Amino acid sequence: MKVLAIRAAIVVALLGAWEIIGRTANPLLYVPPSAAVPALGRLLTRDSYPDLAEHLLLTLREILVAYALAIAAGLGCGFALGFNRLVGRAYGPILAALYAVPAVVWYPSLMLFFGLDAASKIAFGFLLGFFPVTLAVLAGIRQVDPHLVTVAKSYGAGPLTVFGRVVLPATLFTLVGGLRTGLALSVIGVIVGEILGSKRGMGALINHAYGLLRTADYVALVLVTLALIVGTDVVAGLVERKARAWSE
Amino acid sequence: MERVSAPRVRRLQLVSVLLLLAVWEATARAGWADPLFVPAPSAVARALGTIGGPALAALGDTLGKTAIAYVLSMVLGVAAGLAVGSIRLLREVLNPFVVALYGMPKILVLPWIVLLLGYGTAPAIFYGTLHGLFPVLVLVTGAVRDVDKTLVTVARAYGATTWQLYWKVLLPAIVPSVFAGMRLGIVFCLLGVLVVEMFAGIRGMGYVMGALANGFQAAELFAATALVSAASIAIVLALDHVSERLSHWRG
Repeated sequence: MKVLAIRAAIVVALLGAWEIIGRTANPLLYVPPSAAVPALGRLLTRDSYPDLAEHLLLTLREILVAYALAIAAGLGCGFALGFNRLVGRAYGPILAALYAVPAVVWYPSLMLFFGLDAASKIAFGFLLGFFPVTLAVLAGIRQVDPHLVTVAKSYGAGPLTVFGRVVLPATLFTLVGGLRTGLALSVIGVIVGEILGSKRGMGALINHAYGLLRTADYVALVLVTLALIVGTDVVAGLVERKARAWSE
Repeated sequence: MERVSAPRVRRLQLVSVLLLLAVWEATARAGWADPLFVPAPSAVARALGTIGGPALAALGDTLGKTAIAYVLSMVLGVAAGLAVGSIRLLREVLNPFVVALYGMPKILVLPWIVLLLGYGTAPAIFYGTLHGLFPVLVLVTGAVRDVDKTLVTVARAYGATTWQLYWKVLLPAIVPSVFAGMRLGIVFCLLGVLVVEMFAGIRGMGYVMGALANGFQAAELFAATALVSAASIAIVLALDHVSERLSHWRG
């Protein structure tokens, strides 16, 4: 209770300080809450950006496509590397080395290759989401007890049964965590891609507002984008909890 | 499963890379891929020669900014982590804020940072620090929280001062987390610096790569990308090596 009260006090104090400093220093630059809230209202009533829904949907679609591709490729690569010892030992370190490179390094090449439209954002979101999914599959497979596999095989279980009854339940716990991280990174990838260069989508709107110094609109757009990001994470969290409950 | 010998692994790695390069080169030469978008590896190698000097200067600029951001984020992260982790009220109150800030895509505030700090070096260092700070902060906070309470009680009972408690008990306990944070932090710092250079740079590798992409100079762009990647991998491997040495020494 006391903790909650202090947290609330901190939030109120921050907003208050922001309001006072913003007003006295430079309202255009610091956008006090009293300017941000009406801007959010204008945005949501489609006053300042009438085509908000269209851009929001485009961003959401890019995220979904990027994430779907990341899951497919990540599961494929992860299981391929995890089941074949030779392939895993050969390509695992290469994958790990590539993971040590800040991903944004690839973005200019993707932009050159796929152009300024949705494809380059999808490609970047895919790239970011791919690694955590693959690595989670690999980590999960390492947790499978080899004795269980041997026992199942000796009782005459086929490879599909072994996979479905032994490997999958054991990897699922780690896997859902990776899938959730993958979604978060796919989302970030798409949004970073849009902000670094695009004509449509939430990132493009944010850049537009920023470029024209419409800072209050910029703050409102950031809040809407944040809502989108938090929303996807909440959904992912619910799915994660369901999947973990099922696997236990 | 069958045993896999190290030479076989090496051979497969080498063959795969060579095969990839050969197929890529052949595809480009045969004209199946537009060289405007997919330059042959030989063209990329030549491009590395042509952009060499200026690219190395730009890489130096980027790495310099990254180094400053890295030192700042490690010092701030460890200090804040020690404070937040060891003071219970602070930890309980601030934890949701730290988690929220860690999880929030920082790219959303980048335009505002650039508006406040202008183009160039300052926003790159600030944004790089912001990226590197949170992993260390979260790891160190967790490590301090999990320090064995009896150690603290015993140290207190033997009359350790607060300063001694931090220096002799807490600091040694968080060393592994600091290493883990250092390993994550360097990639995050470099990422942050490169993003700012691409978004609002006037120098540095991110700016160079953005300009090459806009100029459709694919070979030069690939060469620059390879250069940054190699530098990044080298730095991470070096850090791994150092932390392995240090953990041996720690016992």
